[in-house]
Amino acid sequence: MIPNDVAAIPPNPPRRALHLHRELDIVWRNGPGLWGQITSVSHTTLGLRFMGTAFVFFGIGGLLAMLIRAQLATPQSAFLDTALYNQIFTMHGSIMMFLFAIPMLEGLAMYLLPKMLGTRDLAFPRLSALGYWCYLLGGSILILALLAGVAPGDGWFMYTPLSGKTYSPGINADVWLLGVTFVEISALAAAIELMVSILRLRAPGMKLTQMPLFAWYILGTAAMMLAGFPPLILGSVLLEMERAFGWPFFDPERGGDPLLWQHLFWLFGHPEVYIIFLPAAGVLSTVIPVLSRTTIVGYGAIVAAILGMVFLSFGLWVHHMFTVGIPHLALAFFSAASMLVAVPTAVQIFAWIGTMWRGRPELKLPMLYVLGFFFTFVMGGLTGVMLAVVPFNWQAHDTAFVTAHLHYVLIGGFVFPMLAGVTWWMPLMSGRRRIRGLGESAFWLILIGFHGTFFLMHLTGLMGMPRRIPTYADNPEWMLLNLSSSFFGFVMTIGFALFTIDLILQAGFGKRSVRDPWHAPSLDWAMALPPPNYNFASLPGVELQKAGAADAMLKLARGEGFLPGAPRGRREILVTSVGSARPEHVALLPFNTALPLVVAFAICAFVLLMLGGFYAVAPVALIPVAGLIWAWARRAVAAVDAAPVEIAPGLLLPVHPANGATLTQSGLVSLLFANGTFFASLLFGLAFLTLVSPGPPVPAWQADGTVLLAAIAVLALLAAGTLGGRWALARVEAGQPAGAALIGSVVANLAALVALAALALGVLPDPTRHAGDAVRAALVAYVGLHIAVAVLFSAFALDQARRGELNPAHAGSLRNWGLWQRYTLAAAALATAALWAQELTA
Amino acid sequence: MKCAGFATVPLLLAGCKGPLSTLSPAGPIAQDIAWLWWALLAGAALLALLVFVLVALSFGRPREVPEKRWTFGLGVWFSLAVLTLTLAAALWVGERILPHGPALEVHAHARQWSWTFSHPGAQGPNEAEGVLHIPAGQPVDVLITSSDVIHSFWVPQLGGKMDAIPGRQNRLRIEATRPGTYEGLCAEFCGLEHASMRFEVIAHDPADWPPASLPVSPPLSPPALMEAPRP
Amino acid sequence: MRRVGGMGWLGWLIAGPTVWAAAFSVAYGLHGLGCELGWPALSLGPVSLQRVAIALPSLAAILVCLVLLARVKTALGPEAGIPRLGLWIGLIATLYTMAPVLVATSCRV
Ligand code: HEM
Ligand SMILES: [Cu+2]
Ligand SMILES: [Cu+2]
Repeated sequence: MIPNDVAAIPPNPPRRALHLHRELDIVWRNGPGLWGQITSVSHTTLGLRFMGTAFVFFGIGGLLAMLIRAQLATPQSAFLDTALYNQIFTMHGSIMMFLFAIPMLEGLAMYLLPKMLGTRDLAFPRLSALGYWCYLLGGSILILALLAGVAPGDGWFMYTPLSGKTYSPGINADVWLLGVTFVEISALAAAIELMVSILRLRAPGMKLTQMPLFAWYILGTAAMMLAGFPPLILGSVLLEMERAFGWPFFDPERGGDPLLWQHLFWLFGHPEVYIIFLPAAGVLSTVIPVLSRTTIVGYGAIVAAILGMVFLSFGLWVHHMFTVGIPHLALAFFSAASMLVAVPTAVQIFAWIGTMWRGRPELKLPMLYVLGFFFTFVMGGLTGVMLAVVPFNWQAHDTAFVTAHLHYVLIGGFVFPMLAGVTWWMPLMSGRRRIRGLGESAFWLILIGFHGTFFLMHLTGLMGMPRRIPTYADNPEWMLLNLSSSFFGFVMTIGFALFTIDLILQAGFGKRSVRDPWHAPSLDWAMALPPPNYNFASLPGVELQKAGAADAMLKLARGEGFLPGAPRGRREILVTSVGSARPEHVALLPFNTALPLVVAFAICAFVLLMLGGFYAVAPVALIPVAGLIWAWARRAVAAVDAAPVEIAPGLLLPVHPANGATLTQSGLVSLLFANGTFFASLLFGLAFLTLVSPGPPVPAWQADGTVLLAAIAVLALLAAGTLGGRWALARVEAGQPAGAALIGSVVANLAALVALAALALGVLPDPTRHAGDAVRAALVAYVGLHIAVAVLFSAFALDQARRGELNPAHAGSLRNWGLWQRYTLAAAALATAALWAQELTA
Repeated sequence: MKCAGFATVPLLLAGCKGPLSTLSPAGPIAQDIAWLWWALLAGAALLALLVFVLVALSFGRPREVPEKRWTFGLGVWFSLAVLTLTLAAALWVGERILPHGPALEVHAHARQWSWTFSHPGAQGPNEAEGVLHIPAGQPVDVLITSSDVIHSFWVPQLGGKMDAIPGRQNRLRIEATRPGTYEGLCAEFCGLEHASMRFEVIAHDPADWPPASLPVSPPLSPPALMEAPRP
Repeated sequence: MRRVGGMGWLGWLIAGPTVWAAAFSVAYGLHGLGCELGWPALSLGPVSLQRVAIALPSLAAILVCLVLLARVKTALGPEAGIPRLGLWIGLIATLYTMAPVLVATSCRV
């Protein structure tokens, strides 16, 4: 029925553009006023809001940077006391990394991707909104803590034991652990959403190998976030457990190991740098060819470079740990990998320069920032290679040299490209033109200020100045260097202030911009300015994707693409196949809702209870969270039940896939991938604490027959639950009632939960005794949590069966629950094996 | 070279010296690393120049661009060659500065926020607060431990740095060519008084070793020095 | 019809770097284990058991990459280009990151 060649599908007849616009606008637009903002789930609104909020946090982080520079301007400044100074540099780093850089790139990707891919929104609009609220609430907790004087002060990488309860007794460290983890919900949500959207929402016929490079970059970023954030989240959870309940994962006296924290943190921390860099490089790969009036040099080589970076950057984390006493050979592995990751970077840099050679670069404002990028990032990359040289690292590590390096990379490799991107897409976002002159002055102030601040800081570091010190009375030789850094720091701040003023003026007072002001080839400009929430009145086929924005715009607005308008009053988008983007089915997206905000508040309640130390009641706060997620899923169910839709003359697509995966299923697979890395990190922790860490050996469990019996019972019951699910699916597909099978599954899962609880409460050794006991308990808790979710999942399916929502064409939640159930079973089996192995070595 | 670049600014040039400067090494290990740094700097300067020139040249007329020459020629093969050279140098110097062969062993024990050092004396170990005594002209292995949080032992003029991690013992080789006093500090952020965790290394004439003038303290009591060190 | 460019294509795309990642992790793990168990002291001819143990998975990885390189064209046809680059990445990365096995001091001294 669906032709293989998308280009052969006939176009829809043209209609009146204004008419289509009215029809779509009613369906897709945000509600009026503040409530409309709160309930919006539009990727355009939320993308802008992510970026705007990130920009505010950038301002706060920048303010803190100025306080640091003011303190360091003179050797013995009494401006800030030491405790406050420690909080300030910790918060500066944490804000810049977690509340500025990551949300900024999420916002940009959320805003742009559907537009570039030729679709109307992201795959899970409510998840975008949930991510935003978690980000806002978590970020606010951190800022409020700063204002209240209880901000974390152990540095942005929170090394243990310093961040443990003994040496950081207040709630400061908890603020970091809980606040940042809360914010990271938004990172995971964005990663899942971007991943699924790129793979499954591309306009019909847009092959993976032909999609805009920006989408490749974000695909790489999303994959890295799914693999990179779980180790951090795990580390934070474990450290919080140590602080709250005394489970000694990192306490050397009870068999824990501070180095485990470092491994987990940098397993996230280094990829993080590339997570930040990839989208910025995506902006460069988008902007440079258009501003050079040519096409990109080496599309395939750049995709391969992205691929290389995504993987290699997970093999570098130990270069942050070169001085912890790891043998030279192991250091050499990571040193070599750190060198190697420079190769894909070089490929991209030379591809961009080659592109500029081939074309005729124009010195528009975004191009100035591109030049700022080249100038700055190349130096940062080169000092990065220097730091990968172990002997040199032994001198430069933890000095101002590293501070200089990291700012060259982050500001050169992220901030400059983002400024290029903001100036580039500002006409799209605001619909207005820039006021000439101001932007250029801002650029020069930022560039000069930046290099003035950080260039000589390399020298300061080589002359021995460590990072994170507030005074240096005995070292007059560092004084002039620091004074000049501080001076230029303020120059840079003035530049950023000017940049902000320029943006505000443009958004408020600029002249209306013409459509497609840069004569871009990509679809993001093939729409009205500023874009309506639905992006495209009809979705572009192959021909319109290649026509260039200017030519595609009118035809799309007149409904000549696929799935024109919103005649059924629903939010409809097209789901296509992963590789060649053959149209598969129509998906219905949810309407505006405040549910995400309510869920975020519920999670926030949990976080605050944990922060306040109300550990006994905190778990109770998870009950409303579970209830709300249930309601969330119910609403998604309600939307699916409809006749096939004609997306082009004679081409009918089902509203739900007859066979093949739903969007939700793709999302769940992504979530399980992230979950799998989390679990793998936990197993790594177990192996590390058992085999590598010094100190008292793991005491044996002395598990007897009951333990074995309980473990077997849990696994068998889970297997029974899984089989029940399979049976139910088979019956539903055959059109028979599945209630009995489902009841069986629910009961089996519940029984598994009870058996596990009995095992945990009855025979598990005290987790505070030794780190080995603590990881054991952590594994059991992990499995328990998964079984609890499986119980809810199966109950949900049972509820669906009771309501008569399951039929051969629509298996409801059965397939998704099956995925979760099998994952739980596998995790439980692996956990059992791991505990067995631990017991053997003990 | 960077310092040479500022030769016109006498103050900065003088600044490259300084009691904590890695650029005024006072022993063979720090010297090796300093050489490595100057080589890295020279290479990096050339590479940066190359890129800047290429960027500047792009602002001419449009040109035919052989794509593979840019992406693979420059991007892969050229960079791989440069990086391999760097890696070889890194491994070579890295092996040279490792504690191979016999050396005098001294102890450095860190705690918030001070250092206790000990060296073998004529009648057993000598302990001292904030001062490490070593002989000049011979390699010395510092065995580094901590009793609370992570600290880092660093004497920039004598060698690299090495962390002091509770529950572990790390070894770092340093060497001073000539007798003298060298400054050291804690390089890993360790809390409130991190900035003031400074110490001195006094290198003695080998003829005066072990130094007779020092007070002899009782032998190291294990609980005072490392708790549970395991290599 | 061959599902060129589908999930299968993505699998081919990440095959090379995945092989590298596996070899790298195994080598790192074996290195730690070998140091604990004293493998550097056991010599197998001119080299120690330690170096052999670490190098073997990498050799296997290189072999896997070579085999896949030989087959990628037939499997993917005109879409083989980028996955082939991926395999080369895996091959070169394995060679490069394992090269230090030949020279560097293996365990703490
Ligand atoms: C606005 C201009 C900025 C200035 C003037 C600035 C300045 C500084 C200074 C003086 C430090 C403290 C170094 C020390 O403790 O010795 C610092 C640390 C740091 N900065 Fe920035 N910074 C700026 C922007 C950024 C940006 C944009 C990022 C990231 C995207 C960033 C990330 C960090 C990090 C991660 C640290 C380490 C914090 C820690 O040691 O825990 N900074 N910065
Ligand atoms: Cu790194
Ligand atoms: Cu210290």
